[in-house]
Amino acid sequence: MSLRELYQNYSEQVQFLPIYIREAHPVDGWWMGGGILGKLTKKYSPATAFDVYDPQTIEERRLVAGQCEASLQYDIRTYVDNMDDSVSKAYAAKPTRLYLIGLDGLVKYAAGIGPYGFKPARLKQAIDVYLQHISKPIIDNTGPM
Amino acid sequence: MNFITKTLQYRNKEAVWQKKYNALAPKEGDEAPDFELFDASGKQRVRLSEFRGQKPVALVFGSFT
Repeated sequence: MSLRELYQNYSEQVQFLPIYIREAHPVDGWWMGGGILGKLTKKYSPATAFDVYDPQTIEERRLVAGQCEASLQYDIRTYVDNMDDSVSKAYAAKPTRLYLIGLDGLVKYAAGIGPYGFKPARLKQAIDVYLQHISKPIIDNTGPM
Repeated sequence: MNFITKTLQYRNKEAVWQKKYNALAPKEGDEAPDFELFDASGKQRVRLSEFRGQKPVALVFGSFT
């Protein structure tokens, strides 16, 4: 299952928050746009950009986040991590990660470290289990018979 | 520096980062760290805790590259 399908199928019951964080493979860093690896990535992940430099200011970061949002066309507002990467660090989010947070503010699902732990299908399973759990009526066994 | 050497260096650097911060990251059952962020326009704000009791939240972290 893709992220797009997840958004489309669950957007009414679940609030999706895409959060743009520090670039994983910027041109001025661990660039992977060249050679065979670049060709393979372009083939199997066509939405991935290869010409992005690591943003140095929050304005630059927001600009790239907006370009990413427009490119992916998920029609979901993207939020941008602070330049100190505070949210990314709090969730060990680099390069990519998924979490499900329950109504009680507790983590219901924490994906493995990305990129290999980034599995939308597992998030879907967690959402299904959680939605089923919260839809069950609470049976009150207390009180007089 | 050739491609393989660079790749290994970056990979090791990222692995160290992941190990350090993953040890502190919330696990299932932990309280999710609250945060407040702005969208790409810089105008729309979101705070995670505002969804408590309203809707479960799926956090999707990533970048463009």
